[in-house]
Amino acid sequence: MNLEFGRVTLVILFALIPIVGIFLGMRAPALRSRIPIFIGLFAGLIPILSMYIPKRFLSGETGMSPRLDQWLIILAGFALLLGIVNVLQNSMRKISRRESGWPFSIVLLLGLFVTGGFGIYGALSGHGIGIAADGTPTPFQYMTNWFFQPLQSTIFSLLAFFMASAAFRAFRARNTEATILLIAAGLIMMGRVPVLELLALPIPALHPAAASASQGLGKLTEWIMKTPNGAAQSGIIIGAALGAASMAIRVILGIERGYLGLGKGE
Amino acid sequence: MADIFERLLHLDRRWIFLFVLLSVVAPILVPIGLPVDMTAPTRLAFDFIESLKEGDVVLISFDYGPSSAPENDPMVEAIMRHCALKKLRFVVCVLYPLGGLGLANNVVAKITREFPDLRYGVDYVNLGFKDGASAVMRRMGDDIAGAFPTDVNGKPLSQIPIMKDVHDLRQVKLVFTAATGIIGEWWITQVHPQVGTPVIIGPTAVGAPKYYAFLNSGQIVGMLGGMKGAAEFEKLLRDRYPRMETFYKTTRAFTATKGNDAQTVLHAVILLFLLLGNIAFFRHRRASARA
Repeated sequence: MNLEFGRVTLVILFALIPIVGIFLGMRAPALRSRIPIFIGLFAGLIPILSMYIPKRFLSGETGMSPRLDQWLIILAGFALLLGIVNVLQNSMRKISRRESGWPFSIVLLLGLFVTGGFGIYGALSGHGIGIAADGTPTPFQYMTNWFFQPLQSTIFSLLAFFMASAAFRAFRARNTEATILLIAAGLIMMGRVPVLELLALPIPALHPAAASASQGLGKLTEWIMKTPNGAAQSGIIIGAALGAASMAIRVILGIERGYLGLGKGE
Repeated sequence: MADIFERLLHLDRRWIFLFVLLSVVAPILVPIGLPVDMTAPTRLAFDFIESLKEGDVVLISFDYGPSSAPENDPMVEAIMRHCALKKLRFVVCVLYPLGGLGLANNVVAKITREFPDLRYGVDYVNLGFKDGASAVMRRMGDDIAGAFPTDVNGKPLSQIPIMKDVHDLRQVKLVFTAATGIIGEWWITQVHPQVGTPVIIGPTAVGAPKYYAFLNSGQIVGMLGGMKGAAEFEKLLRDRYPRMETFYKTTRAFTATKGNDAQTVLHAVILLFLLLGNIAFFRHRRASARA
């Protein structure tokens, strides 16, 4: 049995203490919030400490931090399972109560079972879920190619129609800020693609001038993207990172408890 | 005349939808062949891949789904073609849960049909999908087999020749992520600073402005911004490799160069709508003020 320090500590922190916590929480409600905060403290601290303390038990290949990442991957798999259970519960309820749009729930469940079934079949039969050696798609890949991909592409492509309509109806130079935004958007839209060359297509004499103007506009667009936009984006990213760091500290210290899902007074 | 603008203000949006549809479909059916101007981020990306040596390993991560496939597919295809032409080996992985794996399977199959000399397991490998994006990336930084114990077909990585030279991301010379959301950013913020592997990102056009900040700070070595970036990369490939000139001219498949035509016409149509909408708005406002 491998009794490495990091491994044993992880088992104590994230397996034994939670189990003990569950039993204690049943008897003493006050402990229901303390044990998860304790676990959150160590789950947050270990990856941070591994950055600064180059010790094998923390940041080595089988250290605590990489092992936590491994566990996180497994947890993510279970999160998918939770999602499936949630879809099943909601759809079954909708169908049984004949709520509005219940036939769509039947389609959703059919899609879930057929696609999932093909996936499980691929795994059990050894055919996989990709493309066979002879180039033919497996049933799962067939579902992806001819159902899932066209459906998702169709939904997303509707955005182009709504954006064009919204731009026509709402993108107006009502005040100074809106005018600046409108001019910047117009310049970027013209500079990113050869609109001037397209407009000059019917008149060959204008082609060289259009090409030259298009290049100039392209350079202006690139400057806007690199300099004012780049500076603004840096500010936003740094601000968001500071916000995320402060939120992480709040969670680690147990100040932020919303994620525990506790009721009032717990 | 005034009546026309007044009517424009109340134009049925189905007319706008019709114009959008025509401006996208027509250039794809009948390509115009508009020129593609080069931008620095794409040039940087191309030059970086050109600087790699034969046999170097590139990791290509599919971090997008079918919703943005027309923008992202041409990028990964162009990058894979570049790898095949430069004789770079590539490792494919998928971290986007909504259909990323299906797209990866199709793109890999398409490229291997174009380059029949590519040998699976020797020149390239498809690791498949793994959920938990940021944790998977960090795990790959320490041990790729720790995150992906097998390839997409269930074969252990220890039995795949290409993976014998690639234990973790430190042996990978470049990460290319074609991304539609936050996953691409995690390669830059979580993998690059900890492992040091250079990153090139291929975001959608909507996401591209954000990555200029990372480009300015040197955290990425290049970027293919949206379909335009992909079209630029295709142009660079055509200029550098004569074989690609013939390919892109003759292929019946969708390419970013063809998409560039549709995008240009659509931009022109939207700009026209913007102009007309604003003229109608100002005329209406002036008329209201007079009244």
